[in-house]
Amino acid sequence: MIKITARVQVIYVNIMIWLIGRLLEAASKVDKLIQNEISALPDAFTFSMSILPNGPDFIVQKQADGTFYCSRKNDTIKAELIISFKHVKHAFLILSFQESTARSFANDRMLLDGEVDLGMIVVRCLDRMECLVLPKFIAVRAVKRYPSIPLSKKLTLAVKIYMQVLAGLFRRSHV
Amino acid sequence: MSNNFYEFFCPVKIIAGLAALEHAPYELSIRGGSRALVITDSGIKAAGLLEHILTVFEKSQVEIATIYDQVPPDSCFSVITEITDIYRRHQCDSIIAIGGGSVIDTSKGVNILVSEGGDDLLAYSGHGHLKRPLKPLFVVPTTAGTGSEVTSIAVISDTEKGRKVAFGSHVLFPDVAILDPRMTQTLPPHITAMTAMDALTHACEAAIGLAKNPISDAYAHGAIKKISQNLMVVMEKPRNLDGRMELAQAAAMAGIAFSNSMVGVVHALGHSVGAVCHLPHGMCMSIFLPHVLEYNLETCRQEIAELLLPLAGAERYAAVPEHHRAENAIRVIRDMQDELFQHCQLPRNLQETGKVQQEQFETIAKATLNDGSVVFNAKEVDFDDAMTLLEKAWC
Repeated sequence: MIKITARVQVIYVNIMIWLIGRLLEAASKVDKLIQNEISALPDAFTFSMSILPNGPDFIVQKQADGTFYCSRKNDTIKAELIISFKHVKHAFLILSFQESTARSFANDRMLLDGEVDLGMIVVRCLDRMECLVLPKFIAVRAVKRYPSIPLSKKLTLAVKIYMQVLAGLFRRSHV
Repeated sequence: MSNNFYEFFCPVKIIAGLAALEHAPYELSIRGGSRALVITDSGIKAAGLLEHILTVFEKSQVEIATIYDQVPPDSCFSVITEITDIYRRHQCDSIIAIGGGSVIDTSKGVNILVSEGGDDLLAYSGHGHLKRPLKPLFVVPTTAGTGSEVTSIAVISDTEKGRKVAFGSHVLFPDVAILDPRMTQTLPPHITAMTAMDALTHACEAAIGLAKNPISDAYAHGAIKKISQNLMVVMEKPRNLDGRMELAQAAAMAGIAFSNSMVGVVHALGHSVGAVCHLPHGMCMSIFLPHVLEYNLETCRQEIAELLLPLAGAERYAAVPEHHRAENAIRVIRDMQDELFQHCQLPRNLQETGKVQQEQFETIAKATLNDGSVVFNAKEVDFDDAMTLLEKAWC
């Protein structure tokens, strides 16, 4: 039973890691607040998120147009900022919204390697994206404060973000 | 079971009390030290505090190979390279840091290079890049505030790029911290006040932040009690050795607390104001502490209420109704601010510092949001919140 649970957690974490990178990329194309945050990052800034010791992982790079582009980690791009979960179980707690990002840092579940001020910007982008794409009753578990955002605006942005993810999948399949 | 979880670690041996310094030669020798490099600053030398050390090591099993006494107020890479060269030329095998935060962090930086080899300190920046034990490092704090003597972190200025670089590793903890009241006895009143308020802030933020835990709470509350009972005693009688000893212990206890529980928005604001307006860190802590506690009332009223016991004692704690204890705790800190202003004109607000302009608030608020301490504050802080806190702290 325990083995099955652990396996389910690994599968869930793999899916969520894949999805979060692409949702962040999509949100960076449609949300002005995230775009504003990205504008403070250095040109071609890269960050990665991974589960120790062997993944899954993704890497996100700031593009010339001020949006993010997400891909799997590879040897050609070295991330300037690395957010790592110490164990897949820890990643599961956060990615299943049982623990917020801030609580996770406070509980030493995650390691942040790189310049902290850039890490704070990335964390705000992730928080904002989660508030846009998740129903409020789930998002409030992921962030310290759920922002004041009209439902119609949230739904519009969420639909655009999910459409962008689909469009991104289509683009990647034709590269 | 809930997902409650914490980690706690502090491997530093603390040697505390009158004549604690006299234990240093033996403690160094059993850690393999025979030729120590003393790192300090010109103020410590001018105050005659080095004499204590030199006397202690006379005819001991450990030799003071050489002394570097020019550490600047803000530790930087070039100074670390210079001291590393001195360490190697004199074939030293251990380090004794005597001073405040800058001297201690500089010594940690030197210890990285002399232990790992090479001259590229930046290669070891960030978290967890040091894995081997370093050379023996003894720390003798001469202020009672930073708590660096018991932390695994060093912050060094990269003056070329105009930024601060952090180093964090479990091997960066000093081996021994020596708390000897003779070393803080001559500290001027305004520095005593600022550093004590820094320690008080470490303890308060550790006790209310997201990463608080039962063990760090014990250290934090103990530190608060010692500070509230002894700070004014020392302000009245600066040469009171017992009071100095209590403050030195309080700073170390607060250091142990916050290095395990982290700090919050008081530090985020303080770092930003310090960087933009060049105000001393302890002064910023003193100014922002009551405002940030008020800000956090909504999220952690219970934790703030519990601060009243160590701040004001059992009698007042018992006399105050439970629902008023949090506000009372903040009141006690404001009273401390007023008393310190009477003693040494320690500013109670940003306007009184004479170094902050309201036009700088936006820059400060933006920098505050990018400070890592914000993550550990129980209540979220956005740009508008930071601006409101700055306005409240103005006058």
